[in-house]
Amino acid sequence: MKFHSFAREAALLLSLAFLPAVGQAIYSRDAVSWTAPVAPKETLSVDQARALGDRATWIDARPEEEFNQRHVPGALLLNEDRWNELLPAVLEKWSPQKPMIVYCSSNGCGASREVARRLRTEAQLKNVFVLEGGWEAWLASNK
Amino acid sequence: MNWFWRALEIAVGALFVYAGALKAWDPMEFSDDIDHYHLLPWVVSVRLAFYLPWLEILAGLALIFRRASNGAIAILGALMLVFITASVIARARGIDVSCGCFGHALRNMTFVWHLALDIIILAAISLIARQQLRTTDR
Repeated sequence: MKFHSFAREAALLLSLAFLPAVGQAIYSRDAVSWTAPVAPKETLSVDQARALGDRATWIDARPEEEFNQRHVPGALLLNEDRWNELLPAVLEKWSPQKPMIVYCSSNGCGASREVARRLRTEAQLKNVFVLEGGWEAWLASNK
Repeated sequence: MNWFWRALEIAVGALFVYAGALKAWDPMEFSDDIDHYHLLPWVVSVRLAFYLPWLEILAGLALIFRRASNGAIAILGALMLVFITASVIARARGIDVSCGCFGHALRNMTFVWHLALDIIILAAISLIARQQLRTTDR
């Protein structure tokens, strides 16, 4: 009896949640990437990034301690913890002809995507890319 | 002690309403967070990112207003179990997951703190479930 009550109520809530979810999905259908996580043009492989050489500005989105241990030569620290404090130095380095490559620790971390998104939307910068595989991929390519 | 259980229900319910609202505000961000676990294909992640926040909000409200609260407890408990399991699996596979359970808030919390917080929430849900079972037994 108790189980039936739990199951019935759970089924009701599970069904009800579809209504706003479907509504929101329909409303934002054109703004959503339904088949791939990030448009390919928003990421760069390590090889593509290396090919840019000094023509790119590197942004390290990892925590400061990890940045202090090691980072891509010339990279600037910019993470969400100290966004307002660190952003001016990044903006100073930015030029429309110079792509920005943002990385965090690995493919699994979300910090680089988030920092890149904020650079594009809040700072209105163009040419901002996320490094596929992040710092780990960079290190592996150095071996 | 009734006030204690009521306060606990409201606190847990409000927590899920808050967490759900943060994620419902930016489903693409939440899709990325689900995708970072590398457990589901993107097409599933993005659809879950639209569905789960509303499920959390509804279940949280159900708990606060004591409507279908048994079902709400079952759903929230299951969500926490799934989430803890996914976090542990991702961590074991060496994936540096940023939880995303509270949108941007708590994003920089370490894995251990995330896990501790999740276990505390799960414990609170279990206590409420036990209390509800006792009440319905009477």
